[in-house]
Amino acid sequence: MIVETGHFALVLAFALALVQFAVPLIGGRSGDARLMAVGGPAAIAGFALVVLSFAALTIAYVQSDFSVANVWENSHSLKPMLYKVTGVWGNHEGSMLLWVLILTFFGALVAWFSGNLPATLRANVLSIQGLIGAAFLLFILATSNPFARINPAPIEGRDLNPILQDIGLAVHPPLLYLGYVGFSVCFSFAVAALIEGRIDAAWARWVRPWTLAAWIFLTGGIAMGSYWAYYELGWGGWWFWDPVENASFLPWLSGTALLHSAIVMEKRSALKIWTLLLAILTFSLSLLGTFLVRSGVLTSVHAFATDPSRGLFILAILVFFIGGSLSLFALRASSLTQGGLFQPISREGALVLNNLFLTTATATVLIGTLYPLLVEAVTGDKISVGAPFFNMTFVPLVLPLLLAVPFGPLLAWKRGDLGGVAQRLFAAAGGALLAVMIALFLVDGTGVLAAFGIGLAVWLMLGAMTDLALKAGIGNVGARLAVRRFVGLPRSVFGTALAHFGLGITTLGIVAVTSLEVEEIAVMRPGDSLSAAGYTLRFEEISPYKGPNYTEDQGRFVYFDAAGRRIGEIVSSKRLYTARQMPTTEAGIATRGFSQLYVSLGDPTADGGVVVRVWWKPLVLLIWLGGVVMMAGGTVSLLDRRLRVGAPAPRRERAARPVEAAAE
Amino acid sequence: MTRKQKRLAVIGGAMVFLALASGLTLYALGQKTSYFYMPGELAGAQIEPGQRIRLGGLVEKGTVIRGEGQDISFSVTDQVGSVTVAYSGILPDLFREEQGVVTEGTLRQDGVFVADSVLAKHDENYMPKEVADGLKANGLWQDEN
Amino acid sequence: MLFWIVAALLTLLACLAILVPVVRARGASGLDTDHDLEVYQDQLAELDRDVGRGVIGRTEAEQARAEIGRRILRVAGPDSGTAPARSSQMGRIVATLAVLAVPLASWGIYAVTGSPNLPGQPLQARLDANPADSSIEELVARAEGHLAANPEDGRGWDVLAPIYYRMGRYNDAVVAYRSAIRLQGSSVTRELGLGEAIAANAGGTITTEAQAALERALVLEPQNPQAQFMLATAMAQEGKSAEASHAWRSMLAGLPADSPWRGAVEQSLARLGEQPAIPGPSADDVDAAALMSDKDRAQMIEDMVAGLDQRLRENPQDAEGWQRLVQSYVVLGRLEDARDALQRGLDALGRPSQPAASLETFAFERGVTLGEQAE
Repeated sequence: MIVETGHFALVLAFALALVQFAVPLIGGRSGDARLMAVGGPAAIAGFALVVLSFAALTIAYVQSDFSVANVWENSHSLKPMLYKVTGVWGNHEGSMLLWVLILTFFGALVAWFSGNLPATLRANVLSIQGLIGAAFLLFILATSNPFARINPAPIEGRDLNPILQDIGLAVHPPLLYLGYVGFSVCFSFAVAALIEGRIDAAWARWVRPWTLAAWIFLTGGIAMGSYWAYYELGWGGWWFWDPVENASFLPWLSGTALLHSAIVMEKRSALKIWTLLLAILTFSLSLLGTFLVRSGVLTSVHAFATDPSRGLFILAILVFFIGGSLSLFALRASSLTQGGLFQPISREGALVLNNLFLTTATATVLIGTLYPLLVEAVTGDKISVGAPFFNMTFVPLVLPLLLAVPFGPLLAWKRGDLGGVAQRLFAAAGGALLAVMIALFLVDGTGVLAAFGIGLAVWLMLGAMTDLALKAGIGNVGARLAVRRFVGLPRSVFGTALAHFGLGITTLGIVAVTSLEVEEIAVMRPGDSLSAAGYTLRFEEISPYKGPNYTEDQGRFVYFDAAGRRIGEIVSSKRLYTARQMPTTEAGIATRGFSQLYVSLGDPTADGGVVVRVWWKPLVLLIWLGGVVMMAGGTVSLLDRRLRVGAPAPRRERAARPVEAAAE
Repeated sequence: MTRKQKRLAVIGGAMVFLALASGLTLYALGQKTSYFYMPGELAGAQIEPGQRIRLGGLVEKGTVIRGEGQDISFSVTDQVGSVTVAYSGILPDLFREEQGVVTEGTLRQDGVFVADSVLAKHDENYMPKEVADGLKANGLWQDEN
Repeated sequence: MLFWIVAALLTLLACLAILVPVVRARGASGLDTDHDLEVYQDQLAELDRDVGRGVIGRTEAEQARAEIGRRILRVAGPDSGTAPARSSQMGRIVATLAVLAVPLASWGIYAVTGSPNLPGQPLQARLDANPADSSIEELVARAEGHLAANPEDGRGWDVLAPIYYRMGRYNDAVVAYRSAIRLQGSSVTRELGLGEAIAANAGGTITTEAQAALERALVLEPQNPQAQFMLATAMAQEGKSAEASHAWRSMLAGLPADSPWRGAVEQSLARLGEQPAIPGPSADDVDAAALMSDKDRAQMIEDMVAGLDQRLRENPQDAEGWQRLVQSYVVLGRLEDARDALQRGLDALGRPSQPAASLETFAFERGVTLGEQAE
């Protein structure tokens, strides 16, 4: 009964999504306010129905209702409760439902918060949002119904893929989807503007918070996914240039570009067409990511079990939305008016440079990801494009961009003074050079690249701080005035500085780990010791242990610092999940400051030893900490007062104001 | 400079930048990609010494030999041919006899494939896609459904 | 019934979500240009703040103010607003169609994809049901739940292990036998069961591990024929034919004349390409044994059929199993039983259905019909 209610709610949500698409659109064309008004309530009701549906599936998982095929395939009665719940989206069908849940959630948010939008724009945005929802609901119902039943019901499920039985699954996909799908709002706004044929300053102001919100979530999702892969897969890598990772990175890159170009559009009414195009491209890349993961055209750790009909269906959705929006763009873009002019050396110029670099970087990653598919389709050869390709193309593109970042926020709008800005950045540059020197001294001259990388990171961080200091007037005015000004700075200024600072932190982490990492590998027997990066690791024993749905061999290690003091214990294990007979490696990780000691067990050797791999990962946590700081920056920016206004106060209030004034 | 000249300079700069980026990408595509082979295809293929390739297939039963320390050798087969792979390091969790595997490395003169990475990446059905395609072509493996 | 009420309510709410805004919508909305004006005014205010903070020079500020002023003028110019909204005949038609479309589309699609009559089956509820109504799987699940809570209950493992084996869950059987041995101590039955389960789990290969278990059984009961037989089979599997045939032959010599194992041993020897019984009892004895073992073999077949019959009683949703059962009774010449099996199979599979129809055809081809005269 609960399961079927969920199923029915999903079907009903599909019908409602169709209405949400058609009625407001017709209303917008004919100027009928009654029809346009349908969009909001339909979006909110649609969201409520998908929530109901999702809740029903979750209940089926929690209660181990194996009469639901999806539960049977991906759950097990002995699985811990947390993984019963997260297992809902640990599979194709359930994760598509989560995707649609978040899509309708954003639709409802737009409906809720857009009361002050021009009626036609609002109707068109909700209509496009409804169309996307209808397409994906149809996809779920037609090819991946999570509510398919089995009769008679099996008594035990087949368990969830053990790699997914981790807290990471609880956080990573929802965050990632919030990001992916959040860009659908920008897309809907862009298409709505094209349908209307007009785009104004207010448009940019409405789109910016949505872009920002999606970007925050996507940043979090990618950082979380990277950390998850790092500790769960047991080989200590944090980024693999895996096609599916790229699929999430692509919308992040173009979303970051969109974030910056939207600023220009709002402030200066320039780059309108470009911003519109970026909004379309960003969501298109999100859709492409969804397609790549689910169609089975790629080999990846993330791939879902494949089914050609699903791939074809998503491809059709992809072609429809990308093709449709780009055709509309081609037809209508020329009718949009151009905005303000600016000099090449200016804030606008800097943001254009940012966009140039980011979109080119996006293009190289896209080419690297799709090239194998293309080659296989054309010649039949199977090739792989891996880290070497991306290191050679992406990294050289990003380095100059990082160097330029501190200049951007300091340049004035319209016409900037590069020399003046450079002067103000003297202190930051000096700090960065100092960092290079210290690094060269400490790493005994072998890691010149590492030293410059560290300098670059310090440059980014100091640059962000310089921006804040200058805007507050620290050094130019009295201390008390400076403090007051600092507190009074718009939140978006803090947001920018924080996000750029976070970028510096991440850069520092990446540079430190890639160039200063120490790796040791040895066959160890109980009692043996191994030294790595000043730490000594002693292998104590290996003992069996039984978890709720797995058995494992736990290797216990004790580690000492250079002085021989015992610091703590590390437990690393080889696990076997019994239901699927699938082994996993559970790395043992000890955190020292921002650095980590990472211990991974290999296979036992014939003579009673076990292969042990130990990494010293200096400052590795900074990679993700930087992501968190970037998210914080985005959030601070999102709280900026200006992003919440930009809409006229309703007339009634306006009329009431003088009365209030008189009353006081 | 007039405004028009400035604008041309900016556009020109962007063009040069894009040209550089595409050049770099094309060069990297030529240099940094590796081709995928099944053991049976390896015999007829023109592979220069030192060229990085990926080799995929099934781990042949009974051929896994664990040597000194972390040295391991095993054969990868697609029923048409079989190639001995030498590898040093920790094998992935899902490495098992008669399961699909993808290795990456170079082919030595004596026909031994020296792998520097062994992947047992897979989907829910435990079969790397390239390997599954290759095996299907040889009729060695069918989808369960 | 409750489901239909809930479904109807949901549909109603969805329709209302369309209907209410259509009825209540205000006629006109604000001019779009108001929004732009608001943004520009905000930009002016921000400019003032920047000037106050000294972030921006006076001349730049003046230029910026002039630019924003120009934008405001452009917006405030003539014919930049949108026409006031209106309602029309067409609007009413569209709204009506939309309200109708929701129930039609949703009930239509659900009729195709849904299974409204299938109740939810949460595991706990199924386990709490009366044991007499439970299937064998449910009973096993109940026992598993008990053992998960009390993993030290050796008797529980003892009971469960052979059931797992019969259900084909060999891996679980291995674990259960191991637990039983750990908690209850070694015994011939447990070690034999373990050996068998390990072998079955390995697809019939009697692995070293299985051999170890069988050898432990032999220590407890040196003449145990099953252990002897399986160990000899293991040698044959490893390619040691000479040792295997030696072991089988000496086993044959030690077996009592009426032992059901004789037939199996002889068959195995025959498979090795050898004639049995060069050493050992006289030819007469062998003949007698062969005769006996024929009878034994028949007995074994009867047992197997009875087992199949029993399994189908416990787990009747097995179309292929019913076909095998009917076929077996036909071979054994027990037509009455075959007819009975057909009847039970058809009841279990439920008529009319595809599996039931093919079972009926299958039986018909073998001369088994339910027969009108019986009714």
